[in-house]
Amino acid sequence: MRDRLVKRVGEVAAGGFVLAIGGLLAWILSTQVDYSLLASPLIARRFAEAFFLVIQIVVISSLLSVSLGVLVGLGRISTSNVTGRIAKGYVEFFRGTPLLFQLFVIYFGVPRLWATGEFPFTDWAIPAAIIGLTLNHGAYVGEAIRGGIDAVPNGQMEAARSLGMSRVMALRQVVLPQAWRNALAAIGNDQIILVKDTSLLTVIAVPEIMSVFRNINSNQLDPWTPLVWVCVLYLAITMSMSQLVNGLERRSDWGSDSRMFGRLSGLGSGDDDGGEEA
Amino acid sequence: MTGPLVEFDGVDKSFGDTQVLYDVDVDVDEGEVVVVIGPSGSGKSTLLRCANRLEEIQGGDIRLDGQSVIETDVNEIRQQIGMVFQSFNLFPHKTALENVALAPEKVKGEPEEEAKRAASDLLDRVGLADQAESYPGALSGGQQQRVAIARALAMEPRVMLFDEVTSALDPELVGEVLDVIEGLAADGMTMVLVTHEMGFAREVGDRIVLMADGRVVERTETRSFFDGPSTERGQQFLSRLL
Ligand SMILES: Nc1ncnc2c1ncn2[C@@H]1O[C@H](COP(=O)(O)OP(=O)(O)OP(=O)(O)O)[C@@H](O)[C@H]1O
Ligand SMILES: [Mg+2]
Repeated sequence: MRDRLVKRVGEVAAGGFVLAIGGLLAWILSTQVDYSLLASPLIARRFAEAFFLVIQIVVISSLLSVSLGVLVGLGRISTSNVTGRIAKGYVEFFRGTPLLFQLFVIYFGVPRLWATGEFPFTDWAIPAAIIGLTLNHGAYVGEAIRGGIDAVPNGQMEAARSLGMSRVMALRQVVLPQAWRNALAAIGNDQIILVKDTSLLTVIAVPEIMSVFRNINSNQLDPWTPLVWVCVLYLAITMSMSQLVNGLERRSDWGSDSRMFGRLSGLGSGDDDGGEEA
Repeated sequence: MTGPLVEFDGVDKSFGDTQVLYDVDVDVDEGEVVVVIGPSGSGKSTLLRCANRLEEIQGGDIRLDGQSVIETDVNEIRQQIGMVFQSFNLFPHKTALENVALAPEKVKGEPEEEAKRAASDLLDRVGLADQAESYPGALSGGQQQRVAIARALAMEPRVMLFDEVTSALDPELVGEVLDVIEGLAADGMTMVLVTHEMGFAREVGDRIVLMADGRVVERTETRSFFDGPSTERGQQFLSRLL
């Protein structure tokens, strides 16, 4: 009885919220947006250019940050103390400072380490952007991978090693495929944040989507029209990204192994399955 | 070969400051089934895990066919010692067939075709020919444990270690796993098995090793153990079970 009441109140609240937002949106779209400007080839071309640049930056930084993240994750679980600490320090630094700061260091700071005129890049903004995004998100992916590895029961490594596999072979064949599956959702989240982080690149002079907005807004004194473009373009990228992640997740669904874990968690004895629920 | 196939010789094992095995001597002859029993925490699992070096020992030696396992390459020695765990530990991202074929392929370098064919024969042997393409998540506990046994057998080990392999199973699934182990015993496989199933111990065991507090307290022929243990610990242990 109370459950149904709570449910009904929730539905009314959610419905009201949707109506309010929807109404506001409809009002903005009908009064604030200049549709001839919205559809003008000039705007369309500039946003399209920015859009394709962002896609290129995202694809490259994604591939690089995920690869780097795998290495960092492996470094975190390395049996070598030195490697483990280096990986930890790297993660602490890049998660502990703002991306904007990191971009400034790379974009403004690094070229100054060369004598004037000696710096080999003439257009440093895009390389700096890719390096910054890669280093920053490599740290987050690394933590996701490490979490994914930690979530693989200890017994998996032991079973693999008991068959005569070396540690590296056991990691490659047995632990990492499972760790990857465990980490996929977290990695997907991070990569969606990476897409949105490209909006920061406007401050290091990368001609991305937000720069186009700022440009049009200051020329036309009309924020809402270009904002519609911005919104649609970001959603197009992030939504395809979640589709991709969903697809990858579905591909590595090996049946109802939650059932298996359910069985194991009932054991509770302190011997070889001690690390099971970690 | 003259001596025992597996020989625990004065094994001491500690975790940090706590010693859990004291001067353990156990011999296992080729083709023999030795059953290790004892109260919880007496060190049975630890003993098995020392044999394939999942745990390091602090004193004594363990020999396989006269050769110290401590001095042999760890990945080499493990290929000759099959291990089956209480919690199955099948690889969830591989089918039953792939679980069995993986190590022969990757460790021994057998061609995929050959490894798969051998794996298929082994699954047949444990009664799971029809589940070759199933993932572990879709198998019952008893089926998973039988795949795990086939996986260990695939490396053609000289001895098999079983650590309470039916303890995690629903009672109605215990029988099918014990049947497989009995079949192995009948085929002359050398085995060390830790179990709480006394009826089963009596049936397949050639010898019983009773452990308590990290020591071997009794080591006898199965029949004479169940007729009446010679030590007081043995009598106590048995009377509590029966
Ligand atoms: N990794 C470990 N670290 C510290 N102590 C451990 C570890 N593994 C086992 N022990 C201790 O060693 C002793 C023997 O444990 P072991 O698991 O070998 O007993 P067991 O005879 O197999 O018991 P059970 O019948 O409950 O499986 C116990 O006191 C246990 O707490
Ligand atoms: Mg045990």
